[in-house]
Amino acid sequence: MVVKIRLARFGRTNSPFYNIVVAHARTARNSRPLEVIGTYDPIPKKDTYDESGKLHKDIKLDVTRARYWIGVGAQPSDTVWRLLSLVGILQPKYRPSAKTATTETTTAAGAGQG
Amino acid sequence: MNRKQRDFYRWLKNVGSKVRDPPASGNRPSYLGSVKSSSDSAALKPFPANDKFVSQPVLSEEARERIWKSVMVTGLPLKAVSAQYGVDMRRVAAVIRLKAIENEWEASHKPMALPYAKAVLSMVPVADLRQSDQPFEAINDIPVHKYTQQQLFVPTSESRHFTRADAAKAFGEHILPPDEKMRIPELIQFERDIAEGVKPQEAQDNFVTAAARSEDELAAKESARVERDEARKLRIESGRFEFRFEKINVDSSGKDGRSRRGVGWRYGVPFNDRRRAVVKIPTKVE
Repeated sequence: MVVKIRLARFGRTNSPFYNIVVAHARTARNSRPLEVIGTYDPIPKKDTYDESGKLHKDIKLDVTRARYWIGVGAQPSDTVWRLLSLVGILQPKYRPSAKTATTETTTAAGAGQG
Repeated sequence: MNRKQRDFYRWLKNVGSKVRDPPASGNRPSYLGSVKSSSDSAALKPFPANDKFVSQPVLSEEARERIWKSVMVTGLPLKAVSAQYGVDMRRVAAVIRLKAIENEWEASHKPMALPYAKAVLSMVPVADLRQSDQPFEAINDIPVHKYTQQQLFVPTSESRHFTRADAAKAFGEHILPPDEKMRIPELIQFERDIAEGVKPQEAQDNFVTAAARSEDELAAKESARVERDEARKLRIESGRFEFRFEKINVDSSGKDGRSRRGVGWRYGVPFNDRRRAVVKIPTKVE
């Protein structure tokens, strides 16, 4: 059976919160997965004492396990692909423009090593 | 006019005149309690019928200014300032935080509710923190653990030097001795120095040095923690948002995957966020 890396939606109405899970493809979204390798909070947040209004998103990820699962052939969903490509585990799938994509991959890959 | 009204006006003429036109009494408001009895404790009771209500003193504007100056201008450690004025360390810290906000507002010409502050300060006893004053409050109170309220008989050899640390151990493995529980443990050494005949000025200097060192250590510990947390994070800028990846370990969820320390929503356990009678108001601001 195909093993996927995908998001499982938890949280409440209008306040989504996702577990990044490794699960068999044909199991229910919120069923017990093989492994929870992280979380993704899609709601952008501000820093408390930062007045610039800059927003950030919090993600927790076990990078080693993510690499392992990718290595053994787990298939990430599009969203997870996007997140994993940010830390340099995968090549970005969609590139908004060639210029930004190249800079992003280099920084992400450089940061991903450390 | 009935009898009660007559009585009231008679009272107002004689005893009540003290409340109607109170003499300027410096830092103390004139409460009804002071009319009923002239004792010192009665002077802090605004409601004569409610004996349990005792008005607590607050720091005056000058006192707050003095505390702020000792820390921010003179550069004394919080612990030293706390010991000097007899004000709790948490209150000293709060004074400095609020003073910083006040100064910021003043600099940006933000209107302040000064008449309100003046009115409130005229209604409560105010402490000026002068040299001759009594300490404002107890600064080194320690929380009493329930385990330490029992009688214990611990057999020990006569030759053994049984310290407070040993006593704490006897009450329980996790019980801390009072020296570690108090906010300003440096005062112990200060008192010992005084008892041993060290000159007061020298003892004071030693105390300030020790307090400064302990605060520096605390600051270093905190900055190390921040650094450690930051090292686990990966910040990736992507135009609209900054993505903050925190490195975690899947093993933190334990062997059965149900540990509370694990990351993410847990499976197969009830979630109590809608349970009744559980406080859901955030208890801290981040």
